[in-house]
Amino acid sequence: MNHRLMRCLERIGMALLCALPGGMALAATQVLVISGIGGEAQFDARFAQWSQKVATASATATGDPHRVVTLSGEGARREAVQAALRSAAENLRDGDQFTLVLLGHGSFDGSEYRFNLPGDDITGTELLALLDKIPPTVLQLVVNATSTSGAIAERWVRPYRVVITATRSGTERNAPKFGGYWAEALSSAEADRDKDGTLTAQEAYDFANRKVADAFKSDAAIASEHSRINGTEPSRFVVARLGAGAMFANDAQLLAMRNEQGVIEGRLAQLRAQKAQLSQDEYFDRIEPALVELAKLGVRIDARLAVLGVNTGGTPNAAR
Amino acid sequence: MPRAEHSHRRMKWLHGLPLALLAAVSCQQAMAVDIDYDARRSAALRRCDDPQHHGRVEEARNCYRPLLRDGNALTRAEAAFALGDLRTANDEFRVAVADNQRAVLPRLRWGKMYLEAGQPADAERLFKEAVEIDGKDVGALLALASLGVEPSGEEPSAEDQPTDEAADGIPRVLAENPNLVEAQLLLARLELARGRFDNAVKAAQRALQLAQQQKLPPLEAQTLLAAVEVVRHRDPAQWTRAALEYNPHYGALFETLGTVEVRRRRYVEANVWMQRAVEVQPDLWSARREFALNLMRLGRIAEARPHLEAAYEGDPFSTTTVNTLRLLDSLAKFDVIKATQPAMNLQLNKQESATLGPYVEQLAREAINTFSRRYGYQPAGPVTVEIYPDHDDFAVRTAGVPGIGLLGVTFGDLVAMDSPSGRKSGDFHWGSVLWHEMAHVFTLGATRNRVPRWLSEGLSVFEEWTTGPTPGVAITSKVLDVFKDGKLLPVVSLDNGFMQPTYEGQVQMSYDQSGLACLYASQRWGFPRLVEFLRAFNDENTTTDAAVRSVFKVTPEEFDKGFQDFMRKRFATYLADPKRWAELMRRAHAMLDARNWVAAREAAQAAIDVLPEVTTGGSAYEVLAAAEEGAGKPEAAIVALQSWRKAGGWDPDGLRKLGSLLLAAKRNAEAMEVLAAVNYADPLAIEGHDRLGQLLLEQNRGADALREYRVLLALQPLDTAAANFGMARAFRQTGDNSRARRYLLESLDTAPNYRPAQKLLLEMTGDQKQ
Repeated sequence: MNHRLMRCLERIGMALLCALPGGMALAATQVLVISGIGGEAQFDARFAQWSQKVATASATATGDPHRVVTLSGEGARREAVQAALRSAAENLRDGDQFTLVLLGHGSFDGSEYRFNLPGDDITGTELLALLDKIPPTVLQLVVNATSTSGAIAERWVRPYRVVITATRSGTERNAPKFGGYWAEALSSAEADRDKDGTLTAQEAYDFANRKVADAFKSDAAIASEHSRINGTEPSRFVVARLGAGAMFANDAQLLAMRNEQGVIEGRLAQLRAQKAQLSQDEYFDRIEPALVELAKLGVRIDARLAVLGVNTGGTPNAAR
Repeated sequence: MPRAEHSHRRMKWLHGLPLALLAAVSCQQAMAVDIDYDARRSAALRRCDDPQHHGRVEEARNCYRPLLRDGNALTRAEAAFALGDLRTANDEFRVAVADNQRAVLPRLRWGKMYLEAGQPADAERLFKEAVEIDGKDVGALLALASLGVEPSGEEPSAEDQPTDEAADGIPRVLAENPNLVEAQLLLARLELARGRFDNAVKAAQRALQLAQQQKLPPLEAQTLLAAVEVVRHRDPAQWTRAALEYNPHYGALFETLGTVEVRRRRYVEANVWMQRAVEVQPDLWSARREFALNLMRLGRIAEARPHLEAAYEGDPFSTTTVNTLRLLDSLAKFDVIKATQPAMNLQLNKQESATLGPYVEQLAREAINTFSRRYGYQPAGPVTVEIYPDHDDFAVRTAGVPGIGLLGVTFGDLVAMDSPSGRKSGDFHWGSVLWHEMAHVFTLGATRNRVPRWLSEGLSVFEEWTTGPTPGVAITSKVLDVFKDGKLLPVVSLDNGFMQPTYEGQVQMSYDQSGLACLYASQRWGFPRLVEFLRAFNDENTTTDAAVRSVFKVTPEEFDKGFQDFMRKRFATYLADPKRWAELMRRAHAMLDARNWVAAREAAQAAIDVLPEVTTGGSAYEVLAAAEEGAGKPEAAIVALQSWRKAGGWDPDGLRKLGSLLLAAKRNAEAMEVLAAVNYADPLAIEGHDRLGQLLLEQNRGADALREYRVLLALQPLDTAAANFGMARAFRQTGDNSRARRYLLESLDTAPNYRPAQKLLLEMTGDQKQ
């Protein structure tokens, strides 16, 4: 089964799950954002701004701002970090998702990575031990946007855990730009490449990674950071929802239409599997009817959203 | 050329690179026509020198060969040197020096060989050793002085002028030894380099007379006399005939004349001499190389290659030859776009031809049309524009070696320049550089390359200010400080500011002064008169002095006085108290940092009032805009940035800021124009093309929008759905529904629920209503 088809079926499944009667347990997403010590005012301000942006955008993915915990400044001491991770390990249930975002400075002495916090730093080994206490039935995404974060990339990855690092290795020590672009991605329509209103970890990573490369290129400078993504299927993680995406969970009509979308997208995915065997014209001729169906459905969805008081915009420009 | 052979040759260039391997690599050079004037030269060598100096090559070779077995190491070394066997010569010179640690002559001749091989640093080391051994040795003093006679580069700097050692040392030697041919020749070269032609002729004539008296070859004296004739736009036939009568294969004569013309940027004229050099002495490898380089300046790349390859085979030690061959190999990575009406060849790296090409073509076309109209001149053939993403490639293209500090050069109808991709965004405005260089194409062409350097540069700067993509008289305060100090040059000697600068930064000052002089002339007499002034140089005997008198009807002194009055009037406020402007700028920035918007605004506005021409490096306009925005006055910020732009401001971040402020104020048409201007400063940034495309579509400019989206796609954006959707909209607006559908479906294939694209699909399929 190809990746796109998988995603479509997952979407159908998610919609059905959301439509279950009340009282049944729903999969939850929890996000922990930790902003480390900056050392200088400019870095403190920068990291605080990034963490705020990540937290705000993450709430669109969790559907509940209370499921986003932010530790920053003096609140991001080692003990607080340990407590927050222990709490996550205790409260997360099978099928839940957990995202950890680390912003700030890291260091690596050749054998041990450290995340720089007010007071005592926390080591990579300690963080890994805390993460490993979270049940393996919980899908986990770790975004370590600190300097030298590449040092932990392979060590932290698990079948159920995707690890994104700002740097390729522990030797890339400059304060990375990656975290800022990750934060930007979470509210960027440009990052949502398939324009489905949900931003996956893969999409956000691709956006941030490209922005970092472009920034160095624009400065005609040699890139001092190279981000990495380790682990399987990062597209399983929804890290933010854009526009009216968050409305769907609360309206039965929208959910029903989302299900219809899923079915049509499933057909499209099957056609895409044949793409390599077809000429471009043949391929376009085959997908066009399904795309027209989706477009008509889009009109109905917009009409429903308008009834709910959401203006998706009447013209292409405004909609973008 | 077949690929395998191509690769093989490339490897050979690489092997040839390390110059210092002279001692380790065997090489059979052509017999150099080296003339040793030193009276200490042995009689045995002199016997062989005679046929060599007369161009009787085989006779000379047969004479030198037995000397390779001579009992004296210096004689063996000289014989090997004369036969072109530099490796053996190098070994033998080393032996000669080892045999006598205090010997001066072997060091001088060994150094001369290094000079011939293009290793002046090694030559200098040996000459200095010789002077240390015997500070009174005339040969050693002259050898050392000879190193500082002529400029070394294409673009002179203060360091490239005749050194004090040369300027003082040569006359000092001559004072005690007035009959030394070599000293008179050096003096002639020195005076030629300084532009004192009468003195150069006098010294060369004396050298010629002495050579004839002393039965030494007259060739170098005749060459210098011919060179002066060329510089004076006169026929040097008298001297070339005489030299060829003495030695029919004396290629150095014509190579020198070609070099003189290259220094004056008269590449077509230089080519004639270079070609004759190669004809009379095909194995003069330096001439083959210079001929090839000049052919490249004229855009005749295919013709250049065989000469370069021949030069490499004969002399694999030349850095210039090796670098240029490698550059030619790398041209496979370039696209050549041939455009018509007007005819243009655009050579761009394949990786950026799709992104830069549309803008280069558009601006080059605009430049050709503008300058054809303004100067009443049409280039005969296509204008070639070469853009190099790697600055070192551009440098090699320009000067044969990497590391020059230029952004663009013009060789007649050929412009070569740096690509914006090779520099930090905001470092340079490629559009203005192209505009500047394209103006040279016309000022050089309209005068058959006879325009003086200052006027050609001045008009290019003037065109940047008045018709280019960044209109506005943008200068730095430095040129006003130089003016105040009385260091700007009189118009008749303004060329010296470019060709023989005497202080650091004078070349840049001369650009500004020349631009301001053209601005002054244009304002006082009108632009048509300025064009008439330019065209006066079509007469090869016209000087700046004569042209000023005949066209402007004033004396050069009156011109200078008028220019000074113009400067004093235009920049009166700044000149009254230069320190005040600097203080205002400091205060404006400090207040902005302190978020004291009112104080920052006041200081910035006062700085603008003092010197509105400064638009770069955190200009007062940008401070003012930031202060206005900080104070919650976006409309005032727009006004500040528009004034900045009008004054010549172009920094891409500033333009983007202005664009976003205009968009926020719903002034879309103005925003569109501003965002389009970003492309001439920073075209390779992904951001902005989509927005500009949308704005162009709003204005029903589908074809222009198509350009933006094509560029965007060539930049390989992540968001291909949006880019393809933009293409679809642009094609639809231009009436090409078939391609519009294809791009639309491409967009929706990536993003099936992309609402704007869905709406267009329904519109195009007639399914809007259900």
